[in-house]
Amino acid sequence: MKAIEMDHLTKYYGKHQAVSDLTFSVDEGEVYGFIGPNGAGKSTTIRTLLNFIFPTSGSAKIFGKDIVTQSTVIKQEVGYLPSEVHFYENMKVKELLHYSAGFYHNKSYKKRMNELTERLDLDVHKKFEDLSFGNRKKVGIVQALLHEPRLLIMDEPTGGLDPLMQHTFFDLLMEEKKKGVTIFFSSHILSEVQKMCDRVAIIKEGKLIANDTIENLTKNQFKKVTILLSEGQTLNLNVDGIIQQEQLGLMLTILFRGDIHELINALSKEDYRDVVIEEPSLDEIFMHFYETENGGVEVGL
Amino acid sequence: MVFKQELKWNFKSLLIWSVILGGLVFLMMQIYPDFAKQQGNLEALLEAYPEGIKKAFNMDQLSLGTVLGFYAIEGYMLITLIGSIYVVLLSGNMLAKEEGEKTIEFLLSKPISRTSLVTQKMLVIVVNVILFNLFVSLINLTGFMIVDDGTFEFYPFVLMSIAPILLHLTFASIAFLLSSIFRKGRQILSITVGLVFITYFLQVISSVSDKLENLKYMSPFVYVDAADIITNESIKGLYLVIMFAVMIICTISTYWYYRKKDIAV
Repeated sequence: MKAIEMDHLTKYYGKHQAVSDLTFSVDEGEVYGFIGPNGAGKSTTIRTLLNFIFPTSGSAKIFGKDIVTQSTVIKQEVGYLPSEVHFYENMKVKELLHYSAGFYHNKSYKKRMNELTERLDLDVHKKFEDLSFGNRKKVGIVQALLHEPRLLIMDEPTGGLDPLMQHTFFDLLMEEKKKGVTIFFSSHILSEVQKMCDRVAIIKEGKLIANDTIENLTKNQFKKVTILLSEGQTLNLNVDGIIQQEQLGLMLTILFRGDIHELINALSKEDYRDVVIEEPSLDEIFMHFYETENGGVEVGL
Repeated sequence: MVFKQELKWNFKSLLIWSVILGGLVFLMMQIYPDFAKQQGNLEALLEAYPEGIKKAFNMDQLSLGTVLGFYAIEGYMLITLIGSIYVVLLSGNMLAKEEGEKTIEFLLSKPISRTSLVTQKMLVIVVNVILFNLFVSLINLTGFMIVDDGTFEFYPFVLMSIAPILLHLTFASIAFLLSSIFRKGRQILSITVGLVFITYFLQVISSVSDKLENLKYMSPFVYVDAADIITNESIKGLYLVIMFAVMIICTISTYWYYRKKDIAV
């Protein structure tokens, strides 16, 4: 069964199209990254999945259940970590965690609560008004994991956590993944996506522009070619599959997606001092998707 | 879960409002014996009041010389008017505060339906309104017993304890509906508190001026008028119908609106 399945999911705010025609799915047990800059529609998608807002058209399913009509049942199995965590200011951390746990069928959460708060180094006797942003985030993490959900949905999960805590947090997530938990999270920090995710979806202005495994995105599809030219030389290659070509001083950088032999053939006719062909980082691919005008690339990924 | 938690959060303010309002009425009743003793002089004095003022405070229909008459003129207004303020403050915030403080994101991510959320919050209001009136009425009753000179009647007292509950629930249902629509507690506050005061003055105006008498239908305060209750020993059927109609329409609208609302904080 798919953990998440979106079918032409679309959301308008008035006339403004926040999310448009999203169709992709997340397999059970997968770690799935959802990337795009601020305002691309990541949070809107997540909020629609959780039925905070209603889809304008299209639909989506979580564990085969409709996100609108069966939202309450779905949430028994979902843990949600918002990007900005807001809790009741005059409540103590401990009270909130018990309050949160009370909504779920799973009542054997106390041991887990102690474990999680200990690992995240969280003082449960403090009131929310006395907590820092990072500590609030930790409470958010605990309440999302406490009832042992099958699916974790997280919006910018690492914001506000110091590097040490991020490390602990990733450890926690990896343990969840080992248990078979599906993790779906949005981010604009690509290094963390690259480190964690099996697959990613890239979203731009509400539209899905790429959806593939990290491996495919970085290895098979794209090459980053760096050519060192001689003094005073300019080079302008004309080969199918060159997505981006930029010369800075003696350095010509090419982002290439196509038949690498053609490129090599073309290069062999040219004069140059050195060449490096490597896999681009997710960052570079991402930047490429975003810098290209008109959504650029007709890459039928 | 939500019901229990909200009861806990609201209990302190329930106690404070009950004790202060009940206490005020209680203290006020303690001067009743002095009034009753000099009733002859008093009535002569009241004769001198302009007709309008007497009508506005029901002094043309009620006597300051009975326990309930004295209460109806001096204390009942506190329970109805100030009580209504307490109730709209409570209900107007009930749903909106979750959006205002962005805690709704937490609640909605839990396995609880919006219908259940609205129901639980509404029950909190109903329970608080009933408890508030119960506490106040019990304090009042104690006060009446202390100063009773044989004029106290139980049945009108019961009616005068139930009538404010209906009034309060009417205002509560309006405030609760607004609370489901608006995100900012402050907007709701100004609308609902304004509504309470305006309808209160409509009652005063409609009782003073014969020309404007029809305004009385616009004011829930008229529906639960103490003079009517004491004289007729009942609340008029039409008024009951209006109050229940407002409650039902507002409640249905609240569910209808909130279940479909886009809640993005």
